[in-house]
Amino acid sequence: MEEKEQQVIDNIKQQTQDIDDVVFKKMATDAGVVTIIYFSSLIEKMTLQTMVFIPLTNHINQIFQVSETIDLQDMDVILQKLNAGQSLLFFHKPALLQVIDTYSAPTRSITNTETESTVIGPQDAFTESLETNISLLKRRIQNPMLKNEILTVGTETNIKIAMLYMDNIVNKENLDLLRKRIDEIQYPFFSDISELKQLIEDNPLSPFPQYYMSVRPDSVSQYLVDGRIVLIMDNSQAAIVCPTSFFEMFVSVEDYYNRWTTASLLRMLRFFGFFLTIMITPMYISALTFQTEILPYELLLNLQESRSKVPFPPLIEVLFIELIIEILREAGSRMPAKVGQTIGIVGGIVIGTAAVEAGLLSNILIVLVATSALLSFLPPIFLLSNTSRFVRYIFILSAGVFGLYGLMLAFSWLFAHLLRLNSLGTPYMTPIVPRNARDLFDSIIRFPTKYLNAKKGISRAQKK
Amino acid sequence: MSTGQSKRKILNAYHVIFLTQSTMIGVGVLSLPQQLSSLGYSQAFMPLLFGVIASITLYPMIWINSKYPNENLFRINEILLGKWIGKFVNLLFIIQFIFFIAGVINSYMHLIQSTALQEKTITGPVLCFLLLLVYIVTGGIKLIARFSMLIFFITFGMVYFTHWAFEKGDITHFLPLFNFYSANDFYDALKKGYLSILGYELIMFYFPYIVDQKKAYRHSLIGIWISILLCFITTAISVMYFSEWQLRNVEFSILNLFKAGEFSFLERIDIFGITLWVFLIFSTVATYLWCAKKGVDSLISKSSNVHLYILAAIIFFVVKLPSSRAFQETLFTSANYVAYMLIFWPIILILVHLLRKKKQVQL
Repeated sequence: MEEKEQQVIDNIKQQTQDIDDVVFKKMATDAGVVTIIYFSSLIEKMTLQTMVFIPLTNHINQIFQVSETIDLQDMDVILQKLNAGQSLLFFHKPALLQVIDTYSAPTRSITNTETESTVIGPQDAFTESLETNISLLKRRIQNPMLKNEILTVGTETNIKIAMLYMDNIVNKENLDLLRKRIDEIQYPFFSDISELKQLIEDNPLSPFPQYYMSVRPDSVSQYLVDGRIVLIMDNSQAAIVCPTSFFEMFVSVEDYYNRWTTASLLRMLRFFGFFLTIMITPMYISALTFQTEILPYELLLNLQESRSKVPFPPLIEVLFIELIIEILREAGSRMPAKVGQTIGIVGGIVIGTAAVEAGLLSNILIVLVATSALLSFLPPIFLLSNTSRFVRYIFILSAGVFGLYGLMLAFSWLFAHLLRLNSLGTPYMTPIVPRNARDLFDSIIRFPTKYLNAKKGISRAQKK
Repeated sequence: MSTGQSKRKILNAYHVIFLTQSTMIGVGVLSLPQQLSSLGYSQAFMPLLFGVIASITLYPMIWINSKYPNENLFRINEILLGKWIGKFVNLLFIIQFIFFIAGVINSYMHLIQSTALQEKTITGPVLCFLLLLVYIVTGGIKLIARFSMLIFFITFGMVYFTHWAFEKGDITHFLPLFNFYSANDFYDALKKGYLSILGYELIMFYFPYIVDQKKAYRHSLIGIWISILLCFITTAISVMYFSEWQLRNVEFSILNLFKAGEFSFLERIDIFGITLWVFLIFSTVATYLWCAKKGVDSLISKSSNVHLYILAAIIFFVVKLPSSRAFQETLFTSANYVAYMLIFWPIILILVHLLRKKKQVQL
């Protein structure tokens, strides 16, 4: 008898060799001797006290109410439970292994978002805890049809992800396709959900994000009700929404909180802003390099005057200043916040004015580049803002080679590429390639709220 | 008669409308008023006549295709004319397509060179154009259809550019109506001008992909009449704005219509317009290249993207043919006239179809 029990403990001890935070604690209780085994780094002392030690010494029956029994021999399960922060209670006589979930994840409290802030509307954002995030969504959609399937990914790390959807609305084909893609992933470690996102996208080579990503529970739950599928990963703040369209990258949830007039205005600004930000500097290049005749005489004079001291051709000049802007932006996002302000002033004002006075750059170009840099931050989804940075270089180079004609070629590429893209098998360019005429009510112009109750075409929802 | 292979039906009504529409509007429209200039001011209503002719000639095309709903014209040729004659005819079509595409690209590129890129040869622009073209065509007919749709809405705004010409023009130029005397002039205008609206006949090649084949005629007609309307606007405004001498001698009238425009920040709207026109060229040429690729596929009985690359390479060499400009012009113009054959071809096929049916009944 004794030997067999000792053997189980020895076995666990052997398996947890070199894991120094494992604790084996023998206690005498009313039900005989109990060995408690747990990883001290995963469990708070307070939790352990209230859930294990106090009941063990006082009300031993409580233990059996909250714990579950597992097989003594199944070492895989035992180790997995230990690693998941659960406590093992080994009763020596009769030999019995009980397990209690004592995992106390180090979480932070819900704070407001810094990356997708809005003026109106709820301010809470997702945190890095899966449970908190699911509860934030369930609080908004109090409906038994909201399902959350827990899957694990990461061949080495076994990270939990949750797939949420409305069972009565979601398109089952989309669901199966997504499940299949997640099953096929062979990747050892995910430190953020955006890695998972890149692995399950339709076209991983494209510069465009093909799934919507947000840290705002209000925006995500809105898409859930529309029939999309939401993925959340433990240890990761953002949620993925799929499928999505190119146009939805310009939709901020605040549009629905604003009045429709304001919302439409802002959407137009963002949408055309994206095309402007990739177009402004290439236009400057083509107007000054190849097609000077498209400018009226007075404007041309103005431009040439501001460029009179600049020794470079417009292409080099533009690349130069764009590079400076990139450096400023990248340095600004990396450097400690306290020095950030100073460097911002040095970079923005000193380099800008000094470069113009030194005759390295033209005044007008600085205005254009600054405008296009600001415009690139208009999309509410930061991934698209990064995309616009990249796409702009394609446009700059093609304008540098063929002027306006190159610009139009680049546009043809952009349109053809966008039209080729799919998001979870649905065309990315809805509603421009129409799937549903009612989508137009919620496109560049947001119609008054009472017209918006229809599901979007891209969801291919079960009910309209 | 079906070979049993199941083809996916992918083109819906909008796709058919805009495929038809965009294939018709290409480089031809740019010089339509000049091509019709033998009629002088009376040309304004010619596009409407073209529209009627196109609507009538579209019917036999749809008819012969609806008899073989899963086959494109290349296959129908082989079925009706026998394997070898069919393949020979298909080869002719493919060659015609190649020269047609090369012709369109050639004339557009020379236009670009003379207006927008004066200091460059056309080699680079043509190469980039073809690369992008291949990129579009590899996306399949559905991508081309979607592209055409998007392009239509983007380029439609160019109609606005003509309003200055409309304001400055003289509406009395329309009168008197039908002011021409010789049938020869009329025939000349018909022969030259009709080239501009070619393109709708390609429905014979993408017909098997259409979802609602019963309504294909109607949808195609909508596409045709959108194009005809645009052509009509062009010729009508040209008639109002230009003198008869200008109509005869200004080659690219639309660009000159744009020149009438005045913005305080944009001087030469025509350059902007001509570079924007590349979208329309893409949507026209992509459909033709797709058809040519399908032709090669059926010729070799194997579907492969390599055919597309080879076709693009051939087109590149045809465009860059080391010959005089005059020879090229003749070559491309004659290739265009062969295109007329394609319009009357279904009538021959219908006759063969009926003869064979009769034979079968007798047997």
